[in-house]
Amino acid sequence: MHIPDGLLSVPVWAGLSLVSAPAVAAAARRAQQQTEACRVPLLGMTGAFVFAAQMVSFPVGGGTSAHLVGGVLLALTLGPAAAVVVMTAILFVQALVFQDGGLLALGANVFNMALAGVAAGYLPCAIWGAGRWRAGAILVGGMLSVGVSGVLALAELTLSGVRIPATLLGVSAALFLINGVLEGVITLALLRGVKRIDAGLLTRTTAQSGAGWTVIGLLAVLVALAAALFASQAPDILESLTEKTGVASRARALLWSPLADYQTWWLGGSWISKLAAGLVGLVLIYLACLGIGKLSARFRSR
Amino acid sequence: MHHATLDQWARGSSALHRRDARVKWLVLVAYLAALSATRSLFPMCVLGFAALAAGAIRLGRLPFAGVLARAGVVAPFAGVITLFTWLGGEGGRALAVLVRSYLSAVAVLVLVGTTPLPTLLSGLTSLGVPRFLVLVVQFLYRYLFVLSEQAQHMRLAAASRGWQAGRWRPDPAGFRAAAGVAAALFLSSQAKAQAVHRAMLARGFQGRLVTLAPPALSIADLWFLAAGVGACAGLWLAANLFG
Repeated sequence: MHIPDGLLSVPVWAGLSLVSAPAVAAAARRAQQQTEACRVPLLGMTGAFVFAAQMVSFPVGGGTSAHLVGGVLLALTLGPAAAVVVMTAILFVQALVFQDGGLLALGANVFNMALAGVAAGYLPCAIWGAGRWRAGAILVGGMLSVGVSGVLALAELTLSGVRIPATLLGVSAALFLINGVLEGVITLALLRGVKRIDAGLLTRTTAQSGAGWTVIGLLAVLVALAAALFASQAPDILESLTEKTGVASRARALLWSPLADYQTWWLGGSWISKLAAGLVGLVLIYLACLGIGKLSARFRSR
Repeated sequence: MHHATLDQWARGSSALHRRDARVKWLVLVAYLAALSATRSLFPMCVLGFAALAAGAIRLGRLPFAGVLARAGVVAPFAGVITLFTWLGGEGGRALAVLVRSYLSAVAVLVLVGTTPLPTLLSGLTSLGVPRFLVLVVQFLYRYLFVLSEQAQHMRLAAASRGWQAGRWRPDPAGFRAAAGVAAALFLSSQAKAQAVHRAMLARGFQGRLVTLAPPALSIADLWFLAAGVGACAGLWLAANLFG
């Protein structure tokens, strides 16, 4: 989820850039100390691999496919500090050459995906290390990495005053969960494949774990939890504010009524109806994506 | 391919191509910041920002249609947000979101379209971005298309053997096959990195890329900086005074 320019308010992008810039600089210094000069091409090449790996689609059933995001894989193969640098480099190239994510929003995107995403993704591996729980750690890591990045992006948009309807928030949360599980499974499958071909490669690089990264990872997860709480509360806070100031009359859009306020019209106001509204939204988005995918595939094959 | 067009644009020659990369970075950031800090985008103000972007495209002799079409990549994400803001009953703000993200993308494209990436990156180094990070970006960009092409070949090979990504039924064998392809690509990237490094050592690499010293700022560069930043600041001031 790369935030483009023009959506974040000045305090949000400026504040996050102020956090991200020194953090990335520190990661770069650390990575430079840890890696011999010979690994500079390695870091760039592994970043290029993450780019290219997005063309490899993993079939997941239901007519859809998923691809690698890469945070956990980078942290496990290069070490977390170098992973932060490589992920930042990837986001930079995406923003500059592919217009995928904004340039002012780069600080925010780096914070979400390169700093918090990598730290949260590495957390289970930092705790459980290379023992028997390694596979589980990778799975949980993938989920945390994608979930934390996504939740932070939503919270930043909300903080910037972008009104995201509660239904859409629920749907996004479900999508992050699914994508997170897939990221974990893909990372695990990829590492197993690598091990089958060249068993020696991974043992050299995955030895580092440290208390420092455990703390940073926990911090990332906590920040994301706080952000999730904020994002889920913010619409209510904003709504009560608008009602108090008396401008709520226009704010209730007629068009939005089918799924308004989490409720489907044929069910009561219980949590079941919220779940149902979320699921209906999910199915609608799924069908829309499927349709767009089929159309674009048809265009491409011409 | 996308990058090929951009690289082609960047090799052109115009008044904007000749400006120093550092100066262009500063003007771009000023433009983006002014656009982002202007809360109420009324029509005159939008016209002002659009005119600046159009002037830059003209000055850089870039194809108008090409730049405008390419900037449309931001439409899906910004479009969704716009749609929901619109449905929330805030038509004006919804439009502002769309205009802002579109013009920002145009501005970034003008920078990338008038400056080769190595020059852009060395400009960043002299603006204080960590050299190590810039070096990684440089390697990443250099080998991005090599590996992408390899991935495409692998995809083509798989497709010609009857492999399909979007099946309805869960497809564990297909999933494992994809993992194998990705693993092979990964190992090939690691081997390439080693080979590249050996070749670099053989040519006397000592931990940093040596470039010619960045050219000193010319008078024209300084004028461009003053004019660009001044115009952006002026628009921002005007928008906040009259908006």
